[in-house]
Amino acid sequence: MTNLSPADLAGYLRQLGEGALITLELFLTSFALAFTLGVAIGVATLSRNRIIRAAWRVYASIFMGVPSLLVIFLIFYGGSAMLGAVLGEFGSRIDISPFGAGVAALGIVYAAYIAELVRGAIENLPRGQFEGARALAIPPLIMWGRVILPQVMRLALPGLVNVWSFMLKETPLVSLAGLQDLVAAAKIAAGATKEPFVFFIATALVFIAFSAASLWVANRLEARLDRGQRRAPRSPSRAEA
Amino acid sequence: MSALPIDVALAWESLPALFAGLRVTVFLTVLPLMIGLMLAFPICFARMSPRRVLSLPAEIFVVFFRGAPLLILLYLVYYGLGQIEALREGPFWVLFGSPFGCAIVALSLNHAAYMVEVLRGSLLAVPHGLVEASEALGITRRNIFLWVRMPLALRYGLKAYQNEVVSFVKGTAIVSVVTITDLMAVANAIFEQTYDPFTPILCAATFYWAFVNVLRIGFQFWGRWLNRHSAEDAVAAPAGRTVTP
Repeated sequence: MTNLSPADLAGYLRQLGEGALITLELFLTSFALAFTLGVAIGVATLSRNRIIRAAWRVYASIFMGVPSLLVIFLIFYGGSAMLGAVLGEFGSRIDISPFGAGVAALGIVYAAYIAELVRGAIENLPRGQFEGARALAIPPLIMWGRVILPQVMRLALPGLVNVWSFMLKETPLVSLAGLQDLVAAAKIAAGATKEPFVFFIATALVFIAFSAASLWVANRLEARLDRGQRRAPRSPSRAEA
Repeated sequence: MSALPIDVALAWESLPALFAGLRVTVFLTVLPLMIGLMLAFPICFARMSPRRVLSLPAEIFVVFFRGAPLLILLYLVYYGLGQIEALREGPFWVLFGSPFGCAIVALSLNHAAYMVEVLRGSLLAVPHGLVEASEALGITRRNIFLWVRMPLALRYGLKAYQNEVVSFVKGTAIVSVVTITDLMAVANAIFEQTYDPFTPILCAATFYWAFVNVLRIGFQFWGRWLNRHSAEDAVAAPAGRTVTP
């Protein structure tokens, strides 16, 4: 059925492995950026300042209403000019790599989704948490870092897992900007060997397996973060929890 | 150098091409949305069936077509299916031989897999007591589904459906990889002719944004119409005109 020699197959497998590493690297970097930006934006836009709130709504509406692929292309093609406008002569000489464009685009787009999750979770937190921290004279930085955000993460985890798996499925888009990732490697191997079925199914299975593995980890993490909630509440008042 | 140099003349000139691209994008949204929804119902019933023979294949379908990135599904259908001799000879080649056919197949399967989960979640959210009460009243299973479970499931699942439709529209931007000139492809082509990195892509972005928001507003009206019996709307709703859902 197949005209692949073992040596060829080993070569393609090596290429696919290298591509998979790049995909993984891209995904983890973008997620880290999106997460950091998202939490920062989520906390910052809770401010009562109307300009900040308006800016948040414009940002969220734009990046939730436009395909990620378009943002990737915009940054990949126009990134140098944009950097030039911001940083002057020095900025316009920076070449945007597909990897950099992908990280920036996915980071900016998914930061909007994560910020929305974080905002929702903070708003669902009992007011008493803020009031208690203030009554104990806990400084704001420690209040956010040690009191509010750990609870927010517990509440936002299911949504974050969704964003995680959705973002994973969008990382192959960066291959269209020329990144030599797993999907690009699979496409080359498929074209060269005339066995597209095998290579694309294998690539799809890699994504599905990674997704399943991370879901398993997420479930464990959820159980761990919920360990303070697991015991049945003795009193009906949930505000104390 | 200004921050975002938008060439108004170029934007005006490329409007007809962008509208043609938008038409393709809308077509590639509407058709797979309908096909996907039609596929989702039987697969969802199979998925919820207590018989493993039915539920296992449905589950595998969902895991595969939901878990695989859309780009890979598209490559798989476009490049992979051509490899199968029987298909190339068969009557379905009309469908799989054209980029449009491939894109519609890949998009529909992907949407169907997502919709199975949306549908399942919504149907499971319907309180079981309602179904039992309907059964006790001797309503047939078909009528229970049509008039009790489905109307409620639609209300519970509307938000999830909206999210899926919106992300589906954005997902269609990749069909240019199989040589379809949708909105994204038009913008890319204009970029390649003019080397203007902002004007075409930002114009296309505006079109996508408008399309997505039209859908969003449509869903909002739909949701309001579905929940017109709820307290706040009851005052505003015109009396005398009753529409059975």
